[in-house]
Amino acid sequence: MSSDSLKYLEDISVIEGRPSLRSIDDVISKPLDTKPDKKYYIALAITLSMMGIGGIALIFSLYYGTGMWGNNNPVGWGLPIVNFVFWVGIGHAGTLISAILFLLRQKWRNGIARFAEGMTIFAVMTAGIFPAIHTGRPWLDGYLFPYPNQHGLWVNFNSPLLWDVFAVSTYFTVSFIFWYVGLIPDFAILRDRTKNKIKKTIYSITSLGWRGSNRHWQHYEMVYLVLAGFATPLVLSVHTIVSFDFAVSILPGWHTTIFPPYFVAGAVFSGFAMVQNVLIFIRKIFNFEHIITLDTLEKMNKVILLTGMLVGYAYGMEFFMAWYSGVQVEQFTFVNRAFGPYAWAYWIMVSCNVIFPQLFWFKKIRRTIPLMFVIGVFVNVGMWFERFVITVTSLSRDYLPSSWAYYTPTITDFAILIGSFGFFFTFLLLFTKTLPVVSMAEVKAVTYGAQPTHKDH
Amino acid sequence: MDEKILYGYTGLFDTPDEIIEAANKTAESKFKKYDVHTPYPVHGMDDAMKLKPSRLPYVALVVGLSAMFGMLGFMYWISTVDYPVIVGGKPFFSFPAWVPVLFEITVLSASIATVVAMIAIFFKFPNISHPLHDTEFMKSVTSDKYGISIDVTDDENVEEAKAFLESIGAKNVTAIYWDNDEANFKNSVLQPKFLALLLVLVIGVSGATYFTLNKLMFMAPFNWMREQAKYIPQEKSTFFSDEFAMRNPVAGTVQRGLLPYKFTKKPEESAALINPLEVTKPNLALGKKKYDIYCSPCHGYFAEGDSRMRGQFPNPPSLHSEKVRNWSDGRIFNVLTDGQNVMPSYAYQLTRNERWAVILYVRALQRSLNAKESDLK
Amino acid sequence: MSSTENIIDYKKKELPPIFGIFGFGLFGIGLVLSILAYLSEPVRSAYNNVILLEFLSSIGIGSLFLIALEYVVGAVWSTPFRRVFEILSSVLLILPLVAIPVYLHAHDIFHWTHLDVVAADEILKEKSPYLNMTFFTIRIIAYFVIWILFHLLITRNSKKQDVTKDIKLTKLNTKLSAIFLPLFAITLTFSSIDWLMSLEPHWFSTIFGVYYFAGTFLAAIAAGTYLVIWLNEKGLLVKGIGKDHYYSLGALLFGFINFWAYIAFSQYLLIWYANLPEETVWFLQRWNDSWMYFSIFFVVIHFLVPYFALLSQPSKMNPKTLKFMSVWIILAHFFDLYWIVMPTFSREGFVFGWIEIGFLLLGLGIVIVVFNLKAKNQNLIAIGDPRLKRGIDFRL
Repeated sequence: MSSDSLKYLEDISVIEGRPSLRSIDDVISKPLDTKPDKKYYIALAITLSMMGIGGIALIFSLYYGTGMWGNNNPVGWGLPIVNFVFWVGIGHAGTLISAILFLLRQKWRNGIARFAEGMTIFAVMTAGIFPAIHTGRPWLDGYLFPYPNQHGLWVNFNSPLLWDVFAVSTYFTVSFIFWYVGLIPDFAILRDRTKNKIKKTIYSITSLGWRGSNRHWQHYEMVYLVLAGFATPLVLSVHTIVSFDFAVSILPGWHTTIFPPYFVAGAVFSGFAMVQNVLIFIRKIFNFEHIITLDTLEKMNKVILLTGMLVGYAYGMEFFMAWYSGVQVEQFTFVNRAFGPYAWAYWIMVSCNVIFPQLFWFKKIRRTIPLMFVIGVFVNVGMWFERFVITVTSLSRDYLPSSWAYYTPTITDFAILIGSFGFFFTFLLLFTKTLPVVSMAEVKAVTYGAQPTHKDH
Repeated sequence: MDEKILYGYTGLFDTPDEIIEAANKTAESKFKKYDVHTPYPVHGMDDAMKLKPSRLPYVALVVGLSAMFGMLGFMYWISTVDYPVIVGGKPFFSFPAWVPVLFEITVLSASIATVVAMIAIFFKFPNISHPLHDTEFMKSVTSDKYGISIDVTDDENVEEAKAFLESIGAKNVTAIYWDNDEANFKNSVLQPKFLALLLVLVIGVSGATYFTLNKLMFMAPFNWMREQAKYIPQEKSTFFSDEFAMRNPVAGTVQRGLLPYKFTKKPEESAALINPLEVTKPNLALGKKKYDIYCSPCHGYFAEGDSRMRGQFPNPPSLHSEKVRNWSDGRIFNVLTDGQNVMPSYAYQLTRNERWAVILYVRALQRSLNAKESDLK
Repeated sequence: MSSTENIIDYKKKELPPIFGIFGFGLFGIGLVLSILAYLSEPVRSAYNNVILLEFLSSIGIGSLFLIALEYVVGAVWSTPFRRVFEILSSVLLILPLVAIPVYLHAHDIFHWTHLDVVAADEILKEKSPYLNMTFFTIRIIAYFVIWILFHLLITRNSKKQDVTKDIKLTKLNTKLSAIFLPLFAITLTFSSIDWLMSLEPHWFSTIFGVYYFAGTFLAAIAAGTYLVIWLNEKGLLVKGIGKDHYYSLGALLFGFINFWAYIAFSQYLLIWYANLPEETVWFLQRWNDSWMYFSIFFVVIHFLVPYFALLSQPSKMNPKTLKFMSVWIILAHFFDLYWIVMPTFSREGFVFGWIEIGFLLLGLGIVIVVFNLKAKNQNLIAIGDPRLKRGIDFRL
C-alpha cells in the first residue's frame, strides 16, 4: 500500500502527530508565560528603531509641510499612496485565510488563522497611517467623516477617496471584531490556566465570562459564519474600492475596467507572500512546526502561484487591450512603462511578480523553506513596485508632454516607508508575547480524534 | 459558617463520543436547565441537545438592510436637498457612485449588531461571576475535557441530578455552590468606585475638549496658518530702519492696468492721438450723456458757450470756431485731460473712453452747426 | 481508519426515458424554429446563433473548468459528481457544428468583416491585424482544438480509472488540469472577445473576459447542480450524497452570483464614472428606448432574485429551491448573453419573439440530448476515483 494511495484515501491530518489537547494549550501558551529572551529584545529594538526613524520623518513632514516629500506636479501622488495600497494589500491575506478558507471548509486554515488575522489588523493600521498623514494636516481628518460641521458641508460621496475611508474603517472594525470573537474562547483557556492574579483579572474581563457552554457555541458558530460571510465580500470590496481610486480617472494606464479583480488578486498575492514569510519564522521560533505544517506552507505557495498568474493575466489583458483599443495615449503608456525612464521599476515588477513565482510549479521548491522564503520576499518587492509603477508612470507622463516630469522620492518618503515596516513588525512582536498566536480552540477542533466518529446523516 | 447555596452538579467525560452520548441522554431526561461544556464546538452537539437554530442571522439581515436604506436616505438628502454640489458633471442623485459606501455601511452595521446581539442579548455577557467560574470543572472543560452541568437552583430533587450524572458515566461528579459575595452583589450604579471613574472621565474629557478647542486650535501648526512669516499691511518691521513694513512706491509707479498720459503740458504733440472709438450710435449716446452732465454747464447744450453759470465762472468760447473745428481729436483730448487756461482737467470725472466719446459728440455738434448741402439726404 | 478498497454501492442504471424524450422534444422544436428563423430573418438568426454558441460554450467549457479546478485543488466533496460535469463538458464536441452558421454569416454580424468600412475607419484599421477573418478563423480552430483535446484527455483518463482504479491516472489528470487552467483563461478570454466584444468593434473593456467567465461558471455550476440533484432523487447516483453536498453546490451558486454582480457592477461603475464616449456607447445602447426596461429587468433576474433566494443557509440545502434556482440561473445566463449581443442587432429597442425562444429551446435541447447520449455508455459516478469514498462521506 503506497503512501500515495493513503494520501487520497484519508483526510490529511491538519495537525501532525496526535498531540493531546492539553499539550496544544501548553505549547501555544508557552510564549505568554515566559519572559522574552535576548533575541526578542534585539528584534524589538530593531523594529522600534525603524518606527523611530519613521516617526522623526513624520514629525518633520507635519511641521515643515508635505514639501519634504517628493510629490511634484504632475506626480501629485507618490509614495504615500503606494505605501497605503501596499499595506492594505498585505492585510487581505489574513481575511482570506480567516474567512474565505473557513467558508470553503479548508481545515488547514485553523492553525494559521489567528496569526493571519492579527497581521491583517496590523497591516490595516499601518495602511491607515498614510491617508491620515498624507494631507499634511492630520488633525483635520475628522472632516473625512460625514458629520454636521460648522461649514454646513458634507463629504463628497462621489469620490473614491471617500469610499476608501468607509472601506478601510469597515475593514478594520470588522476584522477586529472577527479576531476578537475568535479570541474569546482562548482568553477563557488562559484565564483558567494562569496563576498570575493580574493576568487572571485581565483574562476574566477579556473573555467576557466564557464558559465553553454549547448553548453559546451554537450562537458563536453562527456568528462566526455570518462574520466570515460578510468578511469575504468585504475584503473583495476594500481593495476594489482602493483600485477605484485609480480606475475612475481618465488617466491612461489607470482607467481600465480590470482593475478591481486585478488589485484584489494582487493583494492576496502579496499578502500570502508576507504571511508565508512571517509564519516561517514563527513556527521555528515557537516550535509550532506540527501545527503550522509544511503542508500548510505548500498550500500557501500554491495560492501564491495562482494569484501571481492572475496578476500576470491582468498585465497581459491591459497590454492587449491597450493595443486593441487603438487609443494612442494608452498604447504609449504601456510602451513607456517598459522602456521609459521608469523601465527599471517595471522590469523589477515583472520579474518578481510573473517570473519568479513560476518556480512554485515545482513541488520541490514549494516544500523547501529557504527557497520559498526568498520567492516570498521577491513577491513583496515586486508588488510594492507594481503599485509604484502604476501610480508614478501614468502621472509622470500623461497626456501633454509639456507637463511631463520625473518623480524621485525623498529620504523622508523612504524613512516613512521604513517606519511603516517598523510599526507593523513592532505590533507583530508585541502580539506574539501578549496573545496566543494560534487559536487553541480551533486547532483542537481539527486534531485527530477531536470529533465524534458515529455521525448519522 | 455561611449557608452555601447549591448551584448544581457537574460531571466530566473524556471523549467526544462519550459527551454526545451523555448529551443525548440528558436532553431526554427531565432536567431542562442543563448545559454541555466543551473546549471547542463538537459536531452534532446541537442536534444531540435538540437546540433550535440560532436566530442571529435575522439580526444581521434586518440591521444590515435598515442601515443600508437609512444611509441611502441620508446620502439622498445631503446630495439633493441640503447642499447639492455638482461633482464631475454627474447628477445630484448619482446612485452608482454611492453603491460602495452603501455596501460598506451594510456590512459594518450588520457585523457590529450581530456580535453585540450575541454577546449582550444571547449570552448576557459580560458575566464574570457565574458559579462555574474558577472551579476545577471549568479549568478542565476549557482545556481537554468535556462536561455537563445541571443547574438545580430552585429545584427540589437536587440529589437526583447527582445520581443521574453518575448513572450516565460522568467522572468527578462535583457539587458547585454559589459564591455568597457574588450572589449578594448588587450592581448599583451608585457604587463609589464607579462614581469615581465617572468623575475622572468627565474631568478628563471636558479638560481635553476645552484644551483642544480653545488652546490647541490656536497654536501652530493647528491654527490654520494664522501666524505666517510674511508681512501684512500696517505691520511693524525689524528689517527697515523706519520700522515700517510698508514701503512707498518707487517714483514713476503707475496704477495697475493704466498707461500714463504722455502729453501732459504738451498740447502740440497731443494732436497726434487718434480717436479709437468708431462713430456708432452707442458711442454717440454715451458721448451725449457725458457731455450733457459735465460739459454743458459751461459750454452749453450745443457747445455755443452759453453757460448756465450766470457769471459765477467765465464763459468759454464757442466750440464751433474755426480754430476748434480744425483741432484734431487728440488735441481736444488734451484739453479734457490736462485742462486749459481756466478749465480744469476732467481726467477724474471722465474715463478715457468717455472723453473720446464726448469728443465724438462734440464733433457731431460741430457738424450740425456747419452742415453742408451734402449732409442733408 | 484506512481502507484500500473503496466499497462503493453503485449500480449503473439507465436514465429515465422521459429525460431523453423531453430533451429531444426541446431539440426538435428548437431546431425547426431556428431553421425557419434562418429562412425568414437570417441576420437576426445569426445573432441568436452567437448567443447559442456562447451559451453552449459556457456550459461545456465551464464544466471542464470545474473538473480541472477540482483536480488541481484536490477537492473531495465534489468527487461524487465529477462524472456529471464530465458528461456535461461533452457539449464542447458540438460547438464546432454550432459555430458554422455563425461563421458563414460573419459578414452580417461582425462590422469589422466589412473591409471597405475598415479601410475608412482609423480605429478599425489599427485593429485589423487582430480582427481579420484569417486570424479569426485560426483562433476559433485553436479554441475548439484545445478545448476538445483536454476534454477528451481528461474524461478518457477518468473513464479508464473506473476500470483500472489506477491512482496514477488521478495524478496524470491533475497535471493535465494544471496545464489546462492557464490555457482556459486565455482561450476563454479571447473567445469572448472574438465572439462577443468584437460585435461592437470600437468598444473595449479589459474585464470582459472575467465577466464572461463569471457567467460561464454560473451556467456550468447551475446545470451541474440541477442534474446532480435530479439524478440523486432518481436514485441514479449513490447513497450518501445529500444535503451537505447540496449545501456546497448552493454556496458556490450563491458565491458566484455575488461575484458576477461584483464584476458586472465594477465594469459599469468605471465606465459610468469616467464618462468617456468611446466606452459609454456600449452601455448607452443598452439604456436606449425599451432596452432600458430590459436592463432593469435583467438586474432583477440575474442578481436580486437569486441573491435573496439563496441567501439563507436552509435554502442552500433545499433540493427544491436549488433545482428551481439552477434553472433560473441558466436562463439568467442566457439573458446575460442576450443583453450583450442583441443590442448590436436591434439598436432601437429590444426584440424578443419566437426566434429567440427557438434558439433558447435548441440550446437547452442540445445540452439534454448530448448529456443523455453520453450518459448511456458510462457510469454516472467516477467509481474508480481514490477520493470517492471520502467525497461521499463528506459532511459539513
